[in-house]
Amino acid sequence: MTHALKKLSRTVCGVVLAASIGVLADTSAFAEEDLWPTLRAEAFGDRPIAEENGYVVLETPKKVEDAAIVPLTVRIPPHVKDKLKSLSIFIDNNPDPKVATLNFGPAAGVGGERSFATRVRVDNFSHARAVLELEDGSLHMATKFLSAAGGCAAMQAKDPDADMAGIGKTVVRTFSPALSSNPIWSGQVMIKHPNHNGMQLDINTATFIPERYVREVTVERDGELVFKLDSTFSISTNPNFRFTFAKGDNNELDVSVVDTDGVAFDGTTKRESGS
Amino acid sequence: MSKQPCDMPSAGRTMHPCDGRVVSTLTRRGVVLAALASASLPLLRHLPAYAAIDDVTEVAPGVFVHQGLYEVQSAANGGDIANASFVVGSEAVAVIDTSGSAKLGVQLRDAIRAVTDKPIRYVINTHMHPDHVFGNAAFKQDNPEFVGHYKLARALGTRKEGYLAANEQMVGSDAFAGSEVILPTVSIKEPTKLDLGDRELLLEPQPTAHTDNDLIVTDLKTETLFLGDLLFSVHVPTIDGSIAGWLSVLDDLEQRNVARVVPGHGPKTMELPEALAPQKRYLSAIADDVRRQIAEGKTLEEATKSAGFSEKDAWELFDQYHVRNVTAAYAELEWE
Repeated sequence: MTHALKKLSRTVCGVVLAASIGVLADTSAFAEEDLWPTLRAEAFGDRPIAEENGYVVLETPKKVEDAAIVPLTVRIPPHVKDKLKSLSIFIDNNPDPKVATLNFGPAAGVGGERSFATRVRVDNFSHARAVLELEDGSLHMATKFLSAAGGCAAMQAKDPDADMAGIGKTVVRTFSPALSSNPIWSGQVMIKHPNHNGMQLDINTATFIPERYVREVTVERDGELVFKLDSTFSISTNPNFRFTFAKGDNNELDVSVVDTDGVAFDGTTKRESGS
Repeated sequence: MSKQPCDMPSAGRTMHPCDGRVVSTLTRRGVVLAALASASLPLLRHLPAYAAIDDVTEVAPGVFVHQGLYEVQSAANGGDIANASFVVGSEAVAVIDTSGSAKLGVQLRDAIRAVTDKPIRYVINTHMHPDHVFGNAAFKQDNPEFVGHYKLARALGTRKEGYLAANEQMVGSDAFAGSEVILPTVSIKEPTKLDLGDRELLLEPQPTAHTDNDLIVTDLKTETLFLGDLLFSVHVPTIDGSIAGWLSVLDDLEQRNVARVVPGHGPKTMELPEALAPQKRYLSAIADDVRRQIAEGKTLEEATKSAGFSEKDAWELFDQYHVRNVTAAYAELEWE
């Protein structure tokens, strides 16, 4: 959590630009203070961060169509052989700029391309950043600019009733690679959850709909940690993660999820749970 | 923090300190946008602000429709992009959608007054979208009932600030002046009839389709069905609710026997069931492609590059909305 920055949230939420369709986009978005030095200091102190050195690649859409669901993919190319320690994703100008932090475990895997993909909300024109920490403690960053501004609209549910129905349902899948010798497999976790940001006014009660979002996701393969992820409401409604993990003798995944109300959910690829 | 003044939602209505600021971190895109913005402003002052909305046609006895443009809201069109209608009974008038700004609402009201002096008793919104609701303010003086789906108030409430800011941005503060979000005073949860004097309107709230607050209005006297944005023609459909829900509502509409339908975007009137076919084909193309890609393990990004592109040449504004539609469809259908 980045409490120091969350004070921005309600005012920031009031600004909505013409999204991807507006020609006369408000240039005030570009006048904003550069928040990265503050974010960087908070997260990494004065440790050096290598930028755009090919250790980590961040993929974002060229043109953001729906600021509520912006696909974002981080790739660690195969030439990076090191074990992974952590991955942090930021969107500087979001109400909570810290999107997600993954701390990797022994089942995160080595020996091929590793990746992590999710979908995020983009509140305003902003840089998106992926900072990778390798086992040796070195930090590597990739940055992309997101020309998108969803403002409060980025936080809107299309169908709030449908989103609350079945809250916590967690679907877990694995995708075996084309080559059976590939030591890296990929998996997916889908969590039914509105990820309320606490900034939407409920017109019937004249109060803000309480903040409630997925804050922790732990993925294990056969009892070994793939990663533990801390997340914020910058993740889209119905959080969705694709990731890689080390192939083992048993490739069943178990996932546990905790939201900000402290409610726990779980999911598994194992047949008996019905997933 | 210095960003604070720029972030005030109401800043545009008074002094906007951001407008004149020299921007130190300006990107290339920003420079281009700024140049476009300043170049187009003086020019637009000499153009008519928007097409005249008093261009209304009597499509059936006592049923009048104004057709919006197949465009995105802009300074040039002032927000006149959706169809707006009214129905005249022997005692009262009902307005069905009010276009995209208070000024357009005033023009629509003038058009009504050119036809009848009867009181405007109901202002009905077919759903929440700005191009259908921001003219509501022009009718406050009539003290009507504002009527909508029972989920309309919630939808407008959570989007209020965003809708106001985005639409003021797109059409300009002069054209948008006076526009406000007016919440329904009557919420429709069950099929309900409104009496205009010797003619009744039937209001039918729908399950989530184009949005989660779509309301179908039928003038029973002339069998005219006002579908709002449950029906797009020419203008590509936009999904802001549920693609599966919308397809199912279309199945229901195909069974109906009426004299004519009025789309939310499209010609003034169309006929069932032919009117539904292109839209059904469009939504089905997306749903079929996306479902297949999900089954194949394809990602959202992959889907946005191919799903439904067979429809590209069939619609206006495809480039503006299609990928967004696929994104929404994928996020919904992956939970099936």
